[in-house]
Amino acid sequence: MSGDSFSLNLPLARFATDSCEATALYRELRKPLLRYLAGLGLSSEEAQDVVQDAFLSMHKHLAAGGSQENIRSWLFRVAHNRARNCQKSYARRLGGPLDPVFDLISHEATPEQAVLAKEKFHRLDKAIRSLAAPERDCLMLRAEGLRYREIGEVLGIPTSTVGDTVERAVKKLAEKCNV
Amino acid sequence: MCDFSGRLIAWMDCELEANEAAVLGRHVRACAECRERVAAYEDVSRGFAAYCDVVLETAMVTKIHRKLPRWVPVVAGAAAVAAVVLVLALLPRSVKPIPVVSRVAEARPPIAPKTATNTPNPVQRRHAAAHRKTQTANWAVAEPAIQIAIPGDAMFPPGAVPEGVNFVANLSLADGSVQGLRLQP
Repeated sequence: MSGDSFSLNLPLARFATDSCEATALYRELRKPLLRYLAGLGLSSEEAQDVVQDAFLSMHKHLAAGGSQENIRSWLFRVAHNRARNCQKSYARRLGGPLDPVFDLISHEATPEQAVLAKEKFHRLDKAIRSLAAPERDCLMLRAEGLRYREIGEVLGIPTSTVGDTVERAVKKLAEKCNV
Repeated sequence: MCDFSGRLIAWMDCELEANEAAVLGRHVRACAECRERVAAYEDVSRGFAAYCDVVLETAMVTKIHRKLPRWVPVVAGAAAVAAVVLVLALLPRSVKPIPVVSRVAEARPPIAPKTATNTPNPVQRRHAAAHRKTQTANWAVAEPAIQIAIPGDAMFPPGAVPEGVNFVANLSLADGSVQGLRLQP
């Protein structure tokens, strides 16, 4: 080897910072992402694969100097698009009716309360299934704590449209669930 | 219907401008109808969030069930039964106990150590054992037989057998299985 030397200008400090941020983001957003993807109809394995891919993409995005702004909606958008690729057809979304055996029904509830809660859940299930796809998407992202602006970024629709869609969907559910 | 009812959900989600949110907040406190609607929308929102949890839990449980499809235990059981039947069918009808004859103790009372030059190595011993085979007329040997030379050190703890002593194991075979084993010093 000759005595020539070269320096690698690796952004190590930035990389370390990004890694910490990425870890924090992973802890914060893994479960919401999984819940959203399961709501889109992905199986547990598919959802976990998509989440892993999304975080890997985020890591590459940050390592390449990508913007950290709106990273939450960025992650959801990547996951959403990959989920769409997983699903060959929209018909795969939401399988059979759900049975809330391990759900909201508290263990301390009386049998009567449990039956009422189950009936309420089935009404909600039916009402949710009757929603249009964009309405359901908006509600799922809203349930994960995304703002209307972020939901618009994920779904590629204007913020005002998100507001109208959320309002329409919530009113439909309230009407159908008789609350 | 109240004029403000169209902005209630955006107000609940804190998506209104500050001044507009303040106006709507004051209205909701004063309007029973809007309060009722807000309560209903909040109830639906909580229900929807819980529904998302159930969807995720269902997906996880489905994963656990999917790990082991129902047909797997059935097929595995059938395969195990078939294997047992096959083994039983291939086994000989009667299995005789393997006679193990060891004459080590009676053959060699305390032996004085021999010099290394007189001790045959395992290869030489194998030839000697082949020769000795012809002398064991009283042992009903089933043909064919296999002879294996085994160094004494490999069978007994150090010091139990004089150095260099070997044993010959005669294995008699019949029907493809071992019918007899005899050890000779």
